[in-house]
Amino acid sequence: MISAQAKDSVERIFFSAARTRLVSDGSACAIVPAAGDARPAPRDSHAVVLTISSLHFRLLLALRFRDDDVTRAYFGATAQRPLQDAFMEVANLCCGAMNQALIEHFPDLGMSTPYLLGSASIDAMHALGPHHLAAFDVTVGDAVRLGATLCICANAPVDFYAQDTAAVESGGELELF
Amino acid sequence: MQTGWAIAAVLAGGLLACLGAALAYRARGARLVAQAANEMAALREALAQAEAQASGAQAVHASDAQAWMQKEAEFADALARQSAEADARRDALRAVETEQAALLALAERIEQEAGRLRALSGTFERWHEQMISLTTQNQDMRTKNHELSSIVAHVSIVSLNASIEAARAGAAGRGFSIVASEVRTLAARSQQLSNSYRDSLNRNDLVTAATFQDIQAGGKMITAALGTVEMLTGQLSGQLRERLQGARA
Repeated sequence: MISAQAKDSVERIFFSAARTRLVSDGSACAIVPAAGDARPAPRDSHAVVLTISSLHFRLLLALRFRDDDVTRAYFGATAQRPLQDAFMEVANLCCGAMNQALIEHFPDLGMSTPYLLGSASIDAMHALGPHHLAAFDVTVGDAVRLGATLCICANAPVDFYAQDTAAVESGGELELF
Repeated sequence: MQTGWAIAAVLAGGLLACLGAALAYRARGARLVAQAANEMAALREALAQAEAQASGAQAVHASDAQAWMQKEAEFADALARQSAEADARRDALRAVETEQAALLALAERIEQEAGRLRALSGTFERWHEQMISLTTQNQDMRTKNHELSSIVAHVSIVSLNASIEAARAGAAGRGFSIVASEVRTLAARSQQLSNSYRDSLNRNDLVTAATFQDIQAGGKMITAALGTVEMLTGQLSGQLRERLQGARA
């Protein structure tokens, strides 16, 4: 239902969005496939879920985070602005970047608002009958550990190829010479 | 005698003179007749030429008149043809105007419908609010389940203590030990049920959120598509309106 290059394209789009939207002050962002199966253990307390819907598929992005001092400090949580709100805003930006990249291939797209769930709920992704499920461990900055799950449910064949963003930018620079 | 001869000579001379004069007069008359005849012939020739010229001019006029009549007829035909064509074009223009007016009305109707359907976003938001209501209920059930789980854990501890106390009582506590064991078994089953219920709530949270987010995102997709339809039909109706106004001007 979902071609290999489409799965790869979605993952690369997520990597690019995560590296530009989940980090602040140009800090590092390391993304590795989650150990074990595609459903990591619920080691975090919260997860922000967003959905991008198109005519032929829906894509769920779940970003898990811990409500600890390191995470609160990195995302600028304060007493007036709880970590949940701050992280939902960041997650919304990340998913928005994915939506922007996908809309080049799928003109009819819509994106939901973020919603906060317990991270244990992410283990139930299989209940959605996904055609593609991938989980990643994301480390931003020095020690902020996040989890990301991509879940795609398709109702029609999905096949597209997204050009690598870095290659596009590099190509743009070359054209200037 | 001589006088007679003289008279006779004079008479003869007079006679001769008269004869000469008569001859001269006659000759002059003949010349005049001939001159008159010549003049008459010249006049006849001139008349004939004038008649010929008049006849030629008449023929030319007749030809010109025929040509003009033919041209007039052609002009009349051309005028009638052009008039008919103008009528046909006017009818066609009216038909096109009518068609454009109908298309304009249709485009405006589509534009209005698209604008009206964009209000569906309110419906999608209502569904989203219902999702929040459902997940709030889920959260309430999760809290109750957590409370139940705590109670079950407490019952399990109590049953364990009861088993210990029953063991201390020895033979007298054997029956109580069996009851405590049964309660512990029920507590363990209750705990399993509570865990399963917790997993169901977790799954329900995700499915509910995913479903309503799909509705919300799909609603935005539909709203955006309707916005595009509204914009395009707006452009179409604008162009049709301009053309219609141009045609009527």
